[in-house]
Amino acid sequence: MLTIKNVTKFFNNKKILNNVSLHVKKGEIALFLGSSGVGKSTLLRIMNNLETIDSGTLALNDKELNLEVINKTHLIGMVFQHFNLFEHLTVEKNITLPLEKILKYTHEQSHKVAENLLTLYGLFDKKNTYARRLSGGQKQRLAIARAIAMKPEIICLDEPTSALDPILTSHVANTIQQLAADGLIVLVASHDISLIKKLNCTIYFMSNGSIVETASSQEFNNNEAQFPLIKKFVDGQA
Amino acid sequence: MIIDFSLIADYLPILLQGLLVTLQIAAGGCCIGLILGTLLALAQTSDSRVLRCLVMSYVIVIRGTPMLIQILCAFYILPQLGLHIDTLPIAIIAIGLNSAAYISQIIKSGISSVSTGQIEAAQTLGFSSFETARYIILPQALQTVLPALGNEFITLVKDSALASVIGVNELSKQGRFVVSKTYDSISVFFALAILYLLVTSTISLLVAQLEKRMSRNAYD
Repeated sequence: MLTIKNVTKFFNNKKILNNVSLHVKKGEIALFLGSSGVGKSTLLRIMNNLETIDSGTLALNDKELNLEVINKTHLIGMVFQHFNLFEHLTVEKNITLPLEKILKYTHEQSHKVAENLLTLYGLFDKKNTYARRLSGGQKQRLAIARAIAMKPEIICLDEPTSALDPILTSHVANTIQQLAADGLIVLVASHDISLIKKLNCTIYFMSNGSIVETASSQEFNNNEAQFPLIKKFVDGQA
Repeated sequence: MIIDFSLIADYLPILLQGLLVTLQIAAGGCCIGLILGTLLALAQTSDSRVLRCLVMSYVIVIRGTPMLIQILCAFYILPQLGLHIDTLPIAIIAIGLNSAAYISQIIKSGISSVSTGQIEAAQTLGFSSFETARYIILPQALQTVLPALGNEFITLVKDSALASVIGVNELSKQGRFVVSKTYDSISVFFALAILYLLVTSTISLLVAQLEKRMSRNAYD
């Protein structure tokens, strides 16, 4: 279980995250929902040591995480809003390079992992294509495959559907659901309200750096009126 | 005829000896320039303000003073430091150090062209700063700056003529030697121009081929 406790972050004296606390169990999806600039992405970036934390702690299975070396542990994977693929490398090499250079896999081992993942994500026929030549949906799937290849226990997805059409959004939602079904702790930062219907998740509605309302997607879909802040956001009134 | 081709043919071996030395200076200077220039470019993108200031000072001094003065400084200062080396290595070192300043700025612009997103992705995957530079940043940066690097190498070949001031028998000095023997400066300098042109054109062609190959790999 991932425990985020009293996480606070300032940027230039402005509080971006204000005492954020939550628990996410293995196989669960936490959907951080809210307008742009409320701190959703910052929380994910803190988890990947892309931003420093001002106060608070993160723990996995009751063991506190040292964020300064978190990337060396490969416990957390990150899928970026703009995918951030290595554009000078082929689709396959985007997956095999980190495996070979970081996890010290052999050429054969890394290729086996890459081929399995590319088959799973429908990218096998693109394995020799350069990453920059892929469509938005293909890039998103490759970004997920690259993160998953490192066998993380937690995966963070920052605005995973922001550049995708409704059909691709459904595909990505299915993929996210499958990641949770595979036993990962999945954290999604998004302002895409369609994910509420497409994911079986816990919604953490954020405003001004704080979690102001929490609901399971099922509860919200059954009784929207019970969660006025999320409903206002969904209705475009927040 | 103004150009005496038979004279050029007679003295061609002497000129080719000079050309060989010119190529040695250019190749040596290029190696030093590329290695040191890359390190300086990486230092300029580092988090250390002191390091960035030191590199910038180096670049300002080198770019702001003539290469002729730098070669003469190396010629007089290196022996004072106990380094009693031949004039050819002195010329190679001086030209290499000069080239490094220019190459560092070229590579720095290439590094800037690599999105910070890719660097962050490498960081989250567990790449160290060195590994990120080696596998992610530099391959893309070099591809972007290849035409500018080609121009720098061509400049290096032409600038190698300045090594003659410390007595290195490179192509232009050999040319002046032939002129002093034959008094036919037009024919000799015509031959020199053709030889320089052959070398610079070959570099241009090679860089163009490399560029084509790299862009084909990147876009296919």
